Amino acid sequence: MKKRIGWAAAVLLCLATAATARVNLNFNHYFDRDEVVATLKQLNQEYSGMTKLRSLGKSEEGRDIWLLTIHNPKTGEELDKPAVYVDGAIHGNEIQATEVCLYLAWYLLDKYDSVDMIRELVDTRVFYIVPTVNVDGRARFFERASGYNIGRTAVVPFDDDNDGLVDEDDYEDLDGDGEILQMRIRDPFGGWKTHPKDDRVMVRTQPGEIGEWRLLGLEGIDNDGDGRLNEDPVGYLDMNRNWGYQWQPYYVQSGAGEYPFSAKATRAISEFIVSRPNICFHWAFHNYGGLFVRGPGSKLSGLYSPGDVQVYNYLGEEGEKIIPGYKHVVGMEDMYTTYGDFGEWMYCSMGTFGFIGELFRSEELRYRKPGQDEERKAVMDLQSTADYELQQFNDNLAHGTLFKPWTDFDHPQLGRIQIGGWRTFTTRMHPPFMIQEMAHRNAAMVIFTARHTPEVKLELLDTKDLGQGLTRIRVRAVNMNALPTLSGRALRDRLARQDIFSIEGKGLETVSGGVVQDVVMDRVDYVKHRPHMIFTHVPSFGKRDIQWIVRGTGKVTVTFDCQKASNRTLSLEL
Amino acid sequence: MNRWIYGWFALGFCLATAASGADYASPDQVIRKVRRLASDHRGVKMHVLAQTPGGRQVVLLEIGSDRYDAPAVLVLANPEGNQPSATQAALTLSETLVRDWTDLNHIKWYIVPMVHPDGHARFFQTPSAENFGNERPVNDDMDDQTDEDGPQDLNGDGYITVMRQKHPEGTWLAVQGGPLMKKAERSKGEQGVYRLFPEGIDNDGDGLINEDGPGGVIVGHNFPHRFAYHTSTGGPWPASEEETRGLLRFAFDHPDVVMVLTLGRTNSLKTVPPSSQQAEAGGDKYKLPKQFAEAMGLDPDTEYPIKDLVEMAREYTGYQELTEDMVLQFLGVGAAVNPNPGDLPYWNEVSKRYNEFMKEAKLDGKRLDPPDSPPGSVEEWAYYQYGVSSYSMDFWTLPVKEKESKDKKGDFPSPDEIEKMSNEDFIALGEEKIDAFLKESGAPPQFKAVMVINALKSGMMDTKRMAKMMRDNQKKEDTGGVDEADQALFDADPSAFLEWTPYDHPTLGRVEIGGRRPWSLLAPSAEAADSLIQKQLPFVRELVKLLPRFVIEPVEVSRVRDGVYRVEAWVRNQGFLPYPTHHGVRCKRPVPMVMTLQGDGVLPLEGERRIVLGLLEGSGGSQKCSWLLRAREGTAVQLEVRGPAGTAKTSVTLKGGAR
Repeated sequence: MKKRIGWAAAVLLCLATAATARVNLNFNHYFDRDEVVATLKQLNQEYSGMTKLRSLGKSEEGRDIWLLTIHNPKTGEELDKPAVYVDGAIHGNEIQATEVCLYLAWYLLDKYDSVDMIRELVDTRVFYIVPTVNVDGRARFFERASGYNIGRTAVVPFDDDNDGLVDEDDYEDLDGDGEILQMRIRDPFGGWKTHPKDDRVMVRTQPGEIGEWRLLGLEGIDNDGDGRLNEDPVGYLDMNRNWGYQWQPYYVQSGAGEYPFSAKATRAISEFIVSRPNICFHWAFHNYGGLFVRGPGSKLSGLYSPGDVQVYNYLGEEGEKIIPGYKHVVGMEDMYTTYGDFGEWMYCSMGTFGFIGELFRSEELRYRKPGQDEERKAVMDLQSTADYELQQFNDNLAHGTLFKPWTDFDHPQLGRIQIGGWRTFTTRMHPPFMIQEMAHRNAAMVIFTARHTPEVKLELLDTKDLGQGLTRIRVRAVNMNALPTLSGRALRDRLARQDIFSIEGKGLETVSGGVVQDVVMDRVDYVKHRPHMIFTHVPSFGKRDIQWIVRGTGKVTVTFDCQKASNRTLSLEL
Repeated sequence: MNRWIYGWFALGFCLATAASGADYASPDQVIRKVRRLASDHRGVKMHVLAQTPGGRQVVLLEIGSDRYDAPAVLVLANPEGNQPSATQAALTLSETLVRDWTDLNHIKWYIVPMVHPDGHARFFQTPSAENFGNERPVNDDMDDQTDEDGPQDLNGDGYITVMRQKHPEGTWLAVQGGPLMKKAERSKGEQGVYRLFPEGIDNDGDGLINEDGPGGVIVGHNFPHRFAYHTSTGGPWPASEEETRGLLRFAFDHPDVVMVLTLGRTNSLKTVPPSSQQAEAGGDKYKLPKQFAEAMGLDPDTEYPIKDLVEMAREYTGYQELTEDMVLQFLGVGAAVNPNPGDLPYWNEVSKRYNEFMKEAKLDGKRLDPPDSPPGSVEEWAYYQYGVSSYSMDFWTLPVKEKESKDKKGDFPSPDEIEKMSNEDFIALGEEKIDAFLKESGAPPQFKAVMVINALKSGMMDTKRMAKMMRDNQKKEDTGGVDEADQALFDADPSAFLEWTPYDHPTLGRVEIGGRRPWSLLAPSAEAADSLIQKQLPFVRELVKLLPRFVIEPVEVSRVRDGVYRVEAWVRNQGFLPYPTHHGVRCKRPVPMVMTLQGDGVLPLEGERRIVLGLLEGSGGSQKCSWLLRAREGTAVQLEVRGPAGTAKTSVTLKGGAR
C-alpha cells in the first residue's frame, strides 16, 4: 500500500512539473494535423536554441512534410554527433505513431534542464524527427469521413481494378456521420449471425445453420456499376514499399509505386537521410502488433551479418523489458515478406541499425480475469469471443464510445441495410486514456537505443622507444555502447566510409602503422600504403587498438575521424 | 571469298578514325538537331525529360503530336552511352520519319536520341578513354576523397590504354609476335609474366591505380528490373538518377506507348533472350526438385545452401560457367525474368524476320555477339515492368573469322543448327546419337545423354543455352586463350593495338604502355556507321507494321422481339502482335482497351455499356461483345473501341427479323 501511495505522489509530482513546463502538451487525445504543426512550431519557438524546424518538401496534396531537428549547437557540430532518425505514420491511418514522435521531442526538450541523463544525451546526440510521413493520409483520417484502415497510402492516382478508370470507386459516408463504417444486409445465407449475449457482435454461422446477416464491407456505393463496392478508392501507393533496396514492381509487391522513391515523401526523406551520414539508428513507428521489427524483409536482402544480429538482439531484448508484451522479431520470418520497405533500405543501403516500432497490441484492451487465457483458448470462435470481450471493454472502460451501434439505412443500390461497427479511432488505436503511457514507453525505448549509438573514447595505450629515433605509439579507441561505428553490412557492402585513425606532427615521419589485432600477443595488421592514415572501425562493446612507428620529436596529434560517432583527438609529446 | 569478308571486312578499315569521334553528333549537336527538327516540322515537338549531373539535357522528340488515338512507339537510343552509332541512328530515324516515311502517320513516335547524354559525351573526351558513367561524383573506394584517382595519359598519345609490368606476380603473357595479351593458363604449362594496370598513377597514394576515377552511373544500368546493387555503374538503387526518373515519368505518363525499341549495344532481335537470364534473388537455402536431387545423389527433402547447389550443379553438368543466378532461376525464385511463354512465339517470329532482313541486306556475316542485356537495362524494364513489346537492336560489332569447319566425324549438328532446334527435336536424336555428339563436342565424361535429356525436359537446359555453351568452348579453342573480341579486332585492324612503349612510372618503375585503343570495339567510324544505319533502319518500318490494330467486325444485329435487339460485335486484332502482351497482363501496367456502346434511348438488358477488353492475341485474336438492348427500331447504336492500341468505331442500326 505504501508503494501505491509513493506511486501516486510520483504521478502528482510529474503532473506538477508538467504544469510548469515551457510547452504544455496533453497526451490524452490524438493530435489532428493543425495541432501537430502547431505543436512543432511551439516546440521550435520555445526551444529555438536547440531545435530547427524545416519542411522537407510537399506531399502529393501539397502539405508540408515537417522535420524537427533536436541538436545543441553549443556542444558541437551537428554532423559530428551520432544521430537517430525517428519517424511515424508512413501509413497515414497508423495514428499514434505521430504522438510517439511528438512525445519524444517534447520529453527530450522539456527534461533537458531537469534530468541529467537526458541533458547528457541531447548534448551528445542529434535527433531527426518526422512525426508524420504520410501527411495526406493522416489529414484524410482526421479531416474527412474515415475508418481505421483508411488513409494508409499516398494519394497517387491508380487504376486499382485495371478497368481503364482511375480512383472511380471510393468509399462514401452514406449516413453522414463523419465515419466510414461497416455495412450489413439481412440475408439468411450471408454466413453471419449475432452473438447470443451481445447483438453488436457478429458470429460466423456453423455448417447447417441458417444465418441472419451478410457483411458488405465498408460504407459506399458501386460508383462505376461494375458490381463491386469501393474497389478503386482514392490513394494507392504504400510508401513503406517504395524505398530503394530490393524494390519490386507492383505485380510482385502491391502498393510499390512505379519505381523506387516515386512518392514525394519517400523521395524527400531519402534525400535528407543521404545528406546526414551521422545517422546511425532509425525508428519508424506503425501501429499494429507491439513489435520491434528488424529485417530481412525478404530473402533478396540476404542474411543480416552475425555481429549486427547480436546488436539487434541486445537492444531488442532490453526493449522487451522496457515495453512489456512487445516482441523483437524478424520481418520476413515472423511477419511476412516485404520488398522496398524503409527499414531494409536503411540497413542495407544506408548502413544504419534500427527498428520498425509496431505500437498497439490488441491484448492491451483485454477484458479478462488473470488466468482465463487458457479457458479462452478452448473457445471455438476466437474472433467473436475477442469481439465480445472488446465490447465489454468498450462498455466498462470507454463507456460505449468505441462502437457505433448498427442502424438501419436505405442504400441507393442495395436497399435496406444497416451501418455500424468499430469506430474510426479504434481497432488499432489506443483509447485516449492509454496514449501517454504508450508514448512514454516507446519514447523511452528510442532514448535507450540513442544512448547506445557509438561513443568513442581515445586513449594512449603506450609509447616505446625503439632506438635510432623511432618510437612505437599505440592508441586505443573504446566504445562501450551496443552500436559499432560501422555495421557489418556497411562494412561488407561499403555503404559508409570507414573511420580514419591518423597521426600528424611537425616533421613526423610515419614508418609503419596498422591495427593491433592482439595487444598481448603483439600481432599487428600493417597497412601497406599511407600508414599515417588507417581505415577501420570500432566494434560494439569493445575497442580498437592502433599502432604507429614514427620517427620524430615534439607534439604529435592522433585523430579519430568518424561519420557515425563524434571525432576525437589526442595529443602527446615525443 | 568468305561471307564475313564480303559483309564486314571493308568496315575494319574504317576503324582508324573511330576514336577521334570526328563525325558523330556530340550531345550539343544532337540537341541542336532535335530542336531544329521540332521547329521545322509541324506536329514535331521537343520535350526535356531531365537534366544530367553533367548539366546536359535528356530530350525527347515527339513526332506526330497532332495524331490522336494513335498507338505510340518509344525509341530509346544509347542507354549505356557507349554506342554513338545508336544516337546517330535515332537522329537518322527522326529525319527519315519526317521526310520520307510520311506514310507511317498512323503511329506516334517518341524518340530519345540520348538516354544517357553524359555517357555519350565521353566519346568525345580527350584523352580518349572508355568510361561511361554520368557525372555524378561517386566515392568508388569509400575513402576520404571522391573521384581523386582517375586515369592519366602518361605517354601523351591521347589515349588511356593499358600498362604492363614484368613482375613475379604477373598472370599475363604477350602473344607471340604481336601486341595481344592473354591470360597464362597454368594447366597448359604457361607461366605468367606481366601484371596489367590501367594507364595512370596512384594519385592518392593508397597503392591502387585509378580506383576512384571520375564518373558515376550508367543510365542504362539504373532501371528497376533485375537491378544489381553495389556495382560500379548501376547507381545506389534503381532510378537513383535524374535521367532514369525523367524517362520513367514520361513512360508512365504516356500509356499510349505500345512498343519500346531500344537502340544500343544489345540485340534481342538477332537472338531472342534465352531462358537463362539471371533470377533476381539472393536467398540462402533451397530444395532441389526430386528428379534432380536423385540424379545428383542429393536428398530432395534437404535444403542446401545456394553456393553448394551451384558447385554441385557445375559438377553434375560439367558446365563451369553456371552461375548462382542461373540455378536460382531454375529453382523459380524471384520476379519474372524470362519472356512469358505466351509472348515468346511472337518474339521468335519477329526475330526470324529480322534475321531474314539482315540476310537480304547482306549484313548477316559472322560477327561478335552483342552482349546480353545488363542488369537494370531499359529494354528489359520495358518488357518486364512497363509490360509492352520491347526489342533492342545494335548496329555494329566486329566481324569474326569463320573457322574452317573441321572434318565432321559423324552427322552432328553445329551450334547454329542446335539453336534452331526445339528441345524436343534434340531429344528426338536419341540417346546413342546424343552420347556420341557429347563425346565429339568435348563434353566431360560424366556428361551423359540421359542427363541432358532430363535437363531439357525439365527446362533446366534448353537448346539455345547448349548452343551458347558449345560456342563459348569453341571460341576459347579458336583463339588460343586470347579474348575473342581482341582477336577479332586484331584480325580486322591490327593498327587498333598501340605499340607497347617503355615508360618510367613513378611508383611501378619500368612499364610499357600500349594495347587496344579505346572505343575501337564499340564504335565504327561515323561514316561506316552511317552506311550501316541506312541499311538497317528499314527494319524499323517492318517492326511497326506488326503493331496491334483493333477493328470491330463483324457486327450482327437481330431482333429478339419488338423493341428488344441482340447486338453481337467481335473486336479483332488484325495486327501481328497481341495487346496487351501476355506479360503485360501479369504486370498489370498496360491500360486496357475498352469497348463502349451508345445509342439514344438504348437500355442494355444484358451486357454493359462499357466493356473492359482482355488480351487479344495477334493475327486475328478476337473477343465477342454481346448485348441485349431495349430500344426503338431504327435506333443507331455506336460502338467504339478505344485505348493504347488505337481507336475503332462503327455504327449499326437496330432492325431485322427474329433469329
